[in-house]
Amino acid sequence: MAHEHHYDETKYTHLYEGDQSKLYSGIMLEHHTDVASPESKTQVKRIWKVFWILLVVTVVEVILGMYFHHIIPKPILATAFLLMTVAKAAYIVSVFMHLGDEKKTFFWSVLMPLILFIWFILAFLADGSFWLHMNTNERAGVQTEVTTK
Amino acid sequence: MTQASATTAPEPKVWGGGRSPFKVSYGKIMMWFFLVSDAFTFGAFLISYGTKRFFSHVWPDPNEVFHSFPFLNGHYPLLFVSLMTFILIMSSVTMVLAVHAGHYNDRQGVIKWLLWTIIGGICFLSCQAWEWTHLHHQNAWFGSFNDPNTPIESIKQFFGPKAIEHAAFAGGAGLEATNNFFNFFFTITGFHGFHVTIGVILLIIALINTINGTYQRRGHYEMIEKIGLYWHFVDLVWVFVFTCFYLL
Repeated sequence: MAHEHHYDETKYTHLYEGDQSKLYSGIMLEHHTDVASPESKTQVKRIWKVFWILLVVTVVEVILGMYFHHIIPKPILATAFLLMTVAKAAYIVSVFMHLGDEKKTFFWSVLMPLILFIWFILAFLADGSFWLHMNTNERAGVQTEVTTK
Repeated sequence: MTQASATTAPEPKVWGGGRSPFKVSYGKIMMWFFLVSDAFTFGAFLISYGTKRFFSHVWPDPNEVFHSFPFLNGHYPLLFVSLMTFILIMSSVTMVLAVHAGHYNDRQGVIKWLLWTIIGGICFLSCQAWEWTHLHHQNAWFGSFNDPNTPIESIKQFFGPKAIEHAAFAGGAGLEATNNFFNFFFTITGFHGFHVTIGVILLIIALINTINGTYQRRGHYEMIEKIGLYWHFVDLVWVFVFTCFYLL
């Protein structure tokens, strides 16, 4: 959805100082057509398409969770769930929140900080499993020491 | 390269001031960055949940904890939460349709879709209230299962057969995991439910303003768009909560 209407932005400088919302969500976004136009209907179709994608992915997730969680190995299932979750998140953010339609600089300004999550998740989960490992071995070690004495 | 294009182009510099380089208003940018910070809050909650889970030998099985459905007596794992997820996705669609109607200054459309979104939000909150009440009746709450003398029989209902057979289960790991699981469950779904409640209140205010013609007079429906961003974010968080608590 590219709203590239060619407005002379310099004409509206006073709005930038006074009412940015009117400038960027009003004048510059103004549609020349009404809500019943083909342009509008294409957009509505796109919204419903994303709805069906989200619904199908969720149904697949629930079926996997209900009937296949004892059959499929845990790491494979967990990876599948995470991939599907990220896919759903991407659709919601890019289409429903229109981030995909914003300028690329803004798109990256929002997404860049979230890269921290990669470290965040890896570090904390690794710490969790390391703690469990240490705790288990230590306990076992103490027990064997006691029994040998 | 950028300097050359800036001097040759007749228009003012993109980052030279007097305009938004993003072509987005201040209010909308701030809503986005509020949501980024909120994502870190929820992220911290969910990651600490994951860490605690990795700490433990055993963990409650969502198929055993969440298997009830109102007015039905039977074992329906994940059915009720699937309904809640469907309601929230649906309300996200009606919200984006309200934003769309706002883009075309279609007041009637905005009113219609906002109403549906509010109904969806209230339905979701009612479902959550039922689920909380149901779990509370099974003695689960903030800080529940904290007493080391809790009989092991009372927590077996939350675990799968594999976890119950685990050597560490009866030795305290089962009880500790149950305590942790419910603390995180009520805190995180509670914080999410609080967000949904705030969203419903904001939507009701926006609906009143739309009916009064406030946005029509302003010449734009940016407020609907900003509340829409918040609402979709709440849906987004639920997508992750759903995966972490009910699927994994």
